[in-house]
Amino acid sequence: MLRTFLARTSSPRTDHPLVGDGDAGVSDGAGAPARRLRRLAGAAVPLALVVAFAGCGSSDSGGGTSNAAQATPSKPTQGGTIEYGHLQEPPCLINTWVQTGYLSRQFLDGLVSVDAKGKFYPWLADSWKISPDGKTYTFKLKQGVKFTDGTPFDADAVKTNFKAWLDRDAWTYNSYVDFHVGKVIDSVEATDPATVTIKLKEPHDLLSVLSQYAFGILSPKTLKGTQANGCERPVGTGGFTVEKWNHGKDVVLKRNPNYASAPGNAKHQGPAYVDGIDWKFLKDDTQRYGSLTSGESDAIYEVPGANWSAAKKQYEILQHITGGVPVRLALETKNGPFTDVRVRQAFGYASDRRKAVETIFRGAAPYNGNGALSAGSPEHLESLEHAYDYDPNKAAALLDQAGWTQKNQDGIRVKDGKPLQIKIVYSPGNNVTNDDVQVLQIIQDQAKQVGFDVVLKPVTQAGLFSGQDHAAGQWDAEPWYWVARTAEILHVIWAPQKVLGVPNGNNVGQFDDPETWKLISTADKTTDVAARTKLYQQAQERIVAKDALVLGLRPLTVTLAVNTKKLRDVWLSPAIGEPVFSDAYLVKK
Amino acid sequence: MSTTVDALAAVGTATPDRRRRLVGRAGRRLLGAVGVLWAAATVTFLLQALMPGDRARLIINQTAGTMTSPTAEQRAAVNATYHLDDSLFSQYLHYIGGLAHGDLGTSYFQHQEVTKIIGDQIGATIVLTLVSLVLAWAIALTVTVLAAGRDNVFSRLASGFQIVSAAVPQYWVGTILLVVFSIQLGIFPVESGSGISGLVLPAITLALPVAGFLGQVSQDEFTRLLDQPFVTSSRTRGASDLGVRIRHVLRHAALPGVTLSGWALGFLFSGAVIVETVFARPGIGGVLVGAATSRDIPLVTGIVIVSAAVYVVANLLVDVAYTIIDPRLKDA
Repeated sequence: MLRTFLARTSSPRTDHPLVGDGDAGVSDGAGAPARRLRRLAGAAVPLALVVAFAGCGSSDSGGGTSNAAQATPSKPTQGGTIEYGHLQEPPCLINTWVQTGYLSRQFLDGLVSVDAKGKFYPWLADSWKISPDGKTYTFKLKQGVKFTDGTPFDADAVKTNFKAWLDRDAWTYNSYVDFHVGKVIDSVEATDPATVTIKLKEPHDLLSVLSQYAFGILSPKTLKGTQANGCERPVGTGGFTVEKWNHGKDVVLKRNPNYASAPGNAKHQGPAYVDGIDWKFLKDDTQRYGSLTSGESDAIYEVPGANWSAAKKQYEILQHITGGVPVRLALETKNGPFTDVRVRQAFGYASDRRKAVETIFRGAAPYNGNGALSAGSPEHLESLEHAYDYDPNKAAALLDQAGWTQKNQDGIRVKDGKPLQIKIVYSPGNNVTNDDVQVLQIIQDQAKQVGFDVVLKPVTQAGLFSGQDHAAGQWDAEPWYWVARTAEILHVIWAPQKVLGVPNGNNVGQFDDPETWKLISTADKTTDVAARTKLYQQAQERIVAKDALVLGLRPLTVTLAVNTKKLRDVWLSPAIGEPVFSDAYLVKK
Repeated sequence: MSTTVDALAAVGTATPDRRRRLVGRAGRRLLGAVGVLWAAATVTFLLQALMPGDRARLIINQTAGTMTSPTAEQRAAVNATYHLDDSLFSQYLHYIGGLAHGDLGTSYFQHQEVTKIIGDQIGATIVLTLVSLVLAWAIALTVTVLAAGRDNVFSRLASGFQIVSAAVPQYWVGTILLVVFSIQLGIFPVESGSGISGLVLPAITLALPVAGFLGQVSQDEFTRLLDQPFVTSSRTRGASDLGVRIRHVLRHAALPGVTLSGWALGFLFSGAVIVETVFARPGIGGVLVGAATSRDIPLVTGIVIVSAAVYVVANLLVDVAYTIIDPRLKDA
């Protein structure tokens, strides 16, 4: 969830980093020349591809989309090491960043798994029963499963995990778990070694959150050990074990020969086909894609934009539109011009965000105009995609109504002597990619035609997290997103202060609307799916259409390019898009 | 131009009076070195600590990947762990006290000892730096010996090469080399890894600008020396042109370049930040980038101190190299 961004996960076509990360990458000072350079490099790469194409055309059946995937179905073979090029290197192998989640999915199992249709399958839990009142979940656990440090997996281990996740004073604290179910869980009990009973204070769709990476069960030994050890050598029951983390280079994952807890929707049960994965951190776009074309990697994460159309022809592209909150601008409703809903709506109409996203992302990520929920979540309300379609006349009329009738010599609207200034605070490479920044620049340009003076205020990663430029009056809009599977994300974002006891930092704009909260909180405890969906959609309607609290840009995506001449049967978990390698096998020549 | 190491070596054979002078000089050099390290640590610490923004909030949010305004208790816990509530001066004393014991602290986000993180990564950076320095000298000397004092197409190309290579940004060079030689031609691996073939492109990328600088400086000196009487006298004794250039002129012409090598080592060490990112090599350069963006104060400061130490040691070595090349300096 949190923090896909560090990885700049989002746009398959950015030049990420981390930074990430350092990628988070090379940020700030080095960023600008780096970007220019990459563009140059990007221009050179297609040449390389032409060469590669010519080469493979003669040996294989030829081009076409996701060709090799359908080419010759082959039987899984045993052995070999998958070379996988990822983007961001996390600082610790256990935390709640989604970038870490992609990695930890390889060595951790959850209790239940989910498919693309929302059907749940056994994973570490063999079966479960939900009480008629929806408040008691009883899980029967898989028998004979061991953590890779030899500790038996049992009900006590599950209980220990929940306790560690929700302990705010411990290093094992897991904010993802806390934000999602911390308030709703009453108790987690080991009824007997094979049975876990989770009691809730009110009904909740517990299975959905349990299917996500942040609920991967760790060995109690890891949880009781030091943070330094937990970060370096975490232990789970998964298909792979962490053999060694060569910082700055890769994480070496080895096959778990005793793997006995593959999810029910996996392509096969039992240990992985391959001997291991070399999970490499290739932060530079040119290098990461080059490593795929040169054959040094069998699959990579995030295809750079310059290579997107070529990659679609030559490789199998796995893409998951991540649910939850899309990348969107959250508007400050407590201070500044956006305290007036008409000004917020006018800002929505003032720019053609759809066209901006389509132009900049070139199909690598779709437009997501509904800023409340990603199109990847089942409850997404489609009609809101057009809530603020480009309409400068409407924007101007709304601003006139709101009293911003005068214009100064620069064409900026003025009211009571104050110009209509909108400060957007963002962190390139962190909560937005460089492509998103280009979208913001288009918004800036178009909004000016209507009379908005949009000021773009980039901050560093450290500035972002320490709250720089985030005090009252310093900002009016901020891009943010939050991965989740379903509309369960809405309560994480919109829970009011009086429910949480503290200000909800995830509610960036600090807008508390009792009506909206009533819809969301009622939906959360409604067990009937159709009724629940309707409530969530009514909430979206209020957030987007009525109150204009957010302006959507695009969903997050997880994109893998797989060289199917070498590697088959990688899949992305429908939960959050976590890549799964325990069913994958290498094609033997 | 005397030196610590040289001075120490000379202590054994010197008269008592001279010995006292040499010890004093060596002591001053060591004191200077400690001073440089202390200044580097202090400036880095203050720069990081005084940046705007709440550090407890930063640590909490960065760890969880959230943007919350933490509660007072959450902040108090973090403040207690990292002593962030103490006065800046007492935080500084605590930090410098740790340094004096060789304790660089614990990374905020990697949760490992900073000494361990640096120890794991520095080997790769040192190898890259040294190989690049050797390569830079090899390129600079070859070009100088062959081109200096001549006026032909080659010499003009050579000086053009020196100017361009000293000026081009390393990120650009690295990416071009990567695209051409690894991705298109497939001669070198795209991922640099730890093998020798993977070292070639990063080392060239890093060495080129330094080779340009060293070459220009050496070539000026070389050209000047070619007009000196001792060159003419060697020639009249029948030595070949190349022989004169290599055996007699080069030795003197290299001196300014040697002085620059101390600077060059530092330059290469910091240049590794970019090269390690482009070629995905392990090393402290990549660690520094991550630490600086996330404001991991102990890690950033630790790496800066280690880099300062490299500078200091490099300059001591340069002094030694000087006296070997020009023995006249031994008694100066």
